[in-house]
Amino acid sequence: MDNWEDMKIVAEQWSKQGIEFVQQIPPPQLYAAIAVLLLATIWLFSVRLFRRTKSNTVLLSGLSGSGKTMLFYQLRDGSSHQGAVTSMEPNEGTFVLHYENIKKGKVRPVHLVDVPGHSRLRSKLEEYLPRAAAIVFVVDALEFLPNIRAVSEYLYDILTNASVVKNKVPVLLCCNKTDKITAHTKEFIRKQMEKEIEKLRGSRSAVSTADITNDFTLGIEGEVFSFSHCHNKVTVAEASGLTGEIDQVQAFIREHVKP
Amino acid sequence: MLEQLLIFTRGGLILWTCKEIGNALKGSPIDTLIRSCLLEERSGAVSFNYDAPGAAYTLKWTFHNDLGLVFVAVYQRILHLLYVDDLLSMVKQSFSEVYDPKRMAYDDFDETFRQLRMEAEARAEELRKIKQLGKPVTGSVKKQGQVLKAGLEGGNKRVGEGGSKKDDGDGIKGKVSNLTNGHHSNENHKLGDDSQEGDLANGKENTSSNVAVDLSKLQKLRSKGVRGRGGVRKADSIGNKSSKVAAAEPAKKATKKNRVWDDAAPKQSKLDFTDSVDENGNNDHVEVVAADQGESMMDKEEVFSSDSESDDDDDDEPGSDEKPAEAKKKGWFSSVFQSITGKANLEKTDLGPALKALKERLMTKNVAEEIAEKLCESVEASLEGKKLSSFTRISSTVQAAMEDALVRILTPRRSIDILRDVHASKEQRKPYVVVFVGVNGVGKSTNLAKVAYWLQQHKVSVMMAACDTFRSGAVEQLRTHARRLQIPIFEKGYEKDPAVVAKEAIQEATRNGSDVVLVDTAGRMQDNEPLMRALSKLINLNQPDLVLFVGEALVGNDAVDQLSKFNQKLSDLSTSGNPRLIDGILLTKFDTIDDKVGAALSMVYISGSPVMFVGCGQSYTDLKKLNVKAIVKTLLK
Repeated sequence: MDNWEDMKIVAEQWSKQGIEFVQQIPPPQLYAAIAVLLLATIWLFSVRLFRRTKSNTVLLSGLSGSGKTMLFYQLRDGSSHQGAVTSMEPNEGTFVLHYENIKKGKVRPVHLVDVPGHSRLRSKLEEYLPRAAAIVFVVDALEFLPNIRAVSEYLYDILTNASVVKNKVPVLLCCNKTDKITAHTKEFIRKQMEKEIEKLRGSRSAVSTADITNDFTLGIEGEVFSFSHCHNKVTVAEASGLTGEIDQVQAFIREHVKP
Repeated sequence: MLEQLLIFTRGGLILWTCKEIGNALKGSPIDTLIRSCLLEERSGAVSFNYDAPGAAYTLKWTFHNDLGLVFVAVYQRILHLLYVDDLLSMVKQSFSEVYDPKRMAYDDFDETFRQLRMEAEARAEELRKIKQLGKPVTGSVKKQGQVLKAGLEGGNKRVGEGGSKKDDGDGIKGKVSNLTNGHHSNENHKLGDDSQEGDLANGKENTSSNVAVDLSKLQKLRSKGVRGRGGVRKADSIGNKSSKVAAAEPAKKATKKNRVWDDAAPKQSKLDFTDSVDENGNNDHVEVVAADQGESMMDKEEVFSSDSESDDDDDDEPGSDEKPAEAKKKGWFSSVFQSITGKANLEKTDLGPALKALKERLMTKNVAEEIAEKLCESVEASLEGKKLSSFTRISSTVQAAMEDALVRILTPRRSIDILRDVHASKEQRKPYVVVFVGVNGVGKSTNLAKVAYWLQQHKVSVMMAACDTFRSGAVEQLRTHARRLQIPIFEKGYEKDPAVVAKEAIQEATRNGSDVVLVDTAGRMQDNEPLMRALSKLINLNQPDLVLFVGEALVGNDAVDQLSKFNQKLSDLSTSGNPRLIDGILLTKFDTIDDKVGAALSMVYISGSPVMFVGCGQSYTDLKKLNVKAIVKTLLK
C-alpha cells in the first residue's frame, strides 16, 4: 500500500510539471501544434473512409462433397495433395493463384475462403457473404440429380441473401468433377437449376422460411426464372478439381479481383 | 491390425495416411464419422462403429485442438485392439513436432509411424503377458475358447492348437501362438473339441494376425468361475432364456384382451355419444372459422428482445462460491494474468470447473442430464490443448465453444420446408402423408389442427384421418376441428385397426385430390410393446412422407427415453430393409415454459431430427418455427 501511495505522489508531481511546461510555450506555437495534430487526424480518417478499394475475397461454396476443398488447394498450390475429407472448418488463405506465380509483375493476392458445405455449418457462410467480391458455387456434376433439391435450395439462399443482392456479387456456377464421363454438361445443369429455382420461387414465401429469412425474391414476376434475371451476374463453367482443369475458374477469379 | 490411420486438418485436407497398410477402405467411414459423430457434437464418445456392405469398422480418433488436426484410426470391429488409443496419442505427439502449416506432404513420417506402431504393439503385448501370468490359470479351455472367439478369428485358434505353425514372419503373431500353447500345456485340451468353434464369427481366416486380446472379457469370465463344460452350459442357458421369452410371447398375445381401465365391468357399447348428424354436417351450433383468425404465427417474423448480449460474466460461475476465499483470489489473479498473456494451453483440469458450471446451468434450463453430460464432453474434446487467445478468460472460451456447439446441433441437417415437399408430392399426384406420434397427452390432436390451419392458409388442401380409435372423444375432437376449418375428415369410429383406417384414408385422399393427409394416432408409452408394434405396423403399411414426433416442452429427462425408445422400436419392428424413423419433432406447450427451453435441445440431440414446428398456445394461430439463436441465448443466459 505504501508503494501505491508513493506512486500516486510521483504521478501527481509529473502531471504538475507537464502542465507547467505546456503553459510555458508561447501561444502561437501551441496553436500551431494543435492545428497540425487535428489536420493529421482528419486526413487519416478521410483516407480511411474514401479508400473504397474493392475487397479481394472470393468464396468457394456448395454442398458437402462437391469438391470445394480440392479446388481450394488446386488454386493455391496447383495440386490437390492427398485428397480431402468433409471439412469441419473453413479454409482461408490470401495468396496469389498458383498459375500466376509464373507471371511477372504485380499481381494482387486473392483472399480465398472455402466454406464447409455441411448443413450444420451453414451459418459460417453468413459471416463471409458481406465481404465477398465474387462467389464460386461448386456443384457436383456426377451426383447432380439426386441432390438437385438441396443444391437449388442452397443456391437460392445465396442468391436471395441481402448482401449478395445489394452488392451485386457475381456468381460462378462451377460444375465440378467433369473429368468423369458420366458427369452432366454445364448446359444441362444450368437448365435444371433454373427449373428448380422456379419451383422454389413458388413455394417459398417472401417472409421467414425455416430460420433463414429470404429477404428478396428472385426473378421477374410472371416469367419463368432464368439466371439472366438476376441483378448480379451468374455464369456457368466446368472444372475438375482432381485433374487440375480449373482455367475457367481462375479466369473468373482474376476477372473479379482486379489487380 | 489397423486398417488405416489418417491425419487431416479440420479444414478437410488429408495430410498423411499410412501407406504400408495398402487396404482401401470400403464405403466412406471417415466422411460418415465426421458427419454423424464429430459434427453432431458426439466427439466425447469413445469410438464409432461403421457398417458398410462387406466391412464393419470401428473408428477411434483424437484431436490436436491447438494445431487444428484430427487423427483417426480405423480397424475391423471384430478385433479388439487395445493399443489404438496409445498409438493415437503417441502419433499426435510426434506429428505435432513435425507439423508445419506450410507443408502438405509428410512422407518422412512413415518411418516414425512404423516405429511407433511396433512400440505400441509391443507394449500392449507386454501388458497382456503380465496380466495373464499374474492371474492363476484356472477354468477351462472352453472359457478361453469363448474369449478367443470374441477376440480372434478361427484360423488363428487353429494355429494355436496346431502348435508350431507360424504364419508369415510376423513376430507378434508368433509370440501369441506360443503363449496360447503355454496355456494349453496345462490342460491338454485341444481347441478342436470346442463345440462352439463352428459358429465363430470369422471374417477373414488367413492373414490378419492376432494381437492383444481383450483382457477385460477374460477377467470377467474368470471371476464368474465357469469351469469345464461351463462354457457350453452358459451358452445353453442363454439359448434357453431366449426360447422361454419366445414361448411367453405367443401366450401373451393369445390372452390379449381389450384394455380395461377401471375394475368395473367392461362396457361393450360403442363409445360414440355424438348427435346423429352426418359428416357433411349442417349443424348450426358449430361456427365456421375461415381465415378469420388471422395469420398463423408460422408466417410471422420472430420478434425477439434485443437485450444486451454482453456481460453475463457476473453470474458466470455459481460454483465458485464454494471455494475458499483465498484460493479464489489467487485463482482469479492467475487467470487474469493468463488471459492477458494468452499463452496457456487449456488442460482438462482448467476446463473442468467451467464445464461443470455450464452443465449445471444447462440442467437448470431443463436439459436432460445425460445430454448435458455428453455435450460437455464433446466441448471438452474440442477445446483441450488449445491455446487461449489473449484477453479472454477460460470461461468465456468455453462459453463461446458451447454456444457454437448448440447452434450446430439445433440447426437442421436437412431442409424443413414442408411446403416444398408438399408441392413435390402434388406433382407426382399423390398425397403428402404426415403421421403424428407421441406419448399420451402431449397435444397431438390440437397441434394437428393447427398444422391443418397453417397449410390451409397456404392454399393446400388438407384432409384429416382419425386413426386414434382408442381414446373416447378423439374422433369427435377431430370432427369438430374439421368442421370449424371446413376440411374433410376420414373416420371409421372406434375399435378399428388404425393401420387399415389410415390406408383407406390415403386412398380416399388420392381419389378426391387432397394434397396433404394428416393422420392422428393414439398416444402410447414408449415401453408398451403391443402398442408400439401397432404403431410400427401403421407406419410400415402406409409409408408416410413425414413421421412427426409430438413432444411437450415440459418433459425433462424422459424426453431422451421417449425418443430413443420410439426410434428403436420403429427400427426393430420394421419389416423392410429401410426402417422409417422419426423425421421431425413438433414441440408443444412452449408457452408454458418461460425460459426452461432445454427439452428442445435434448430431443434434437438424441434423435438427430430437426424441430419442425413449435406449438405455443391453444388457438389455431399458435404455431411457429424454432428460432435457433433465441433458444441458444436463453439456454446460456
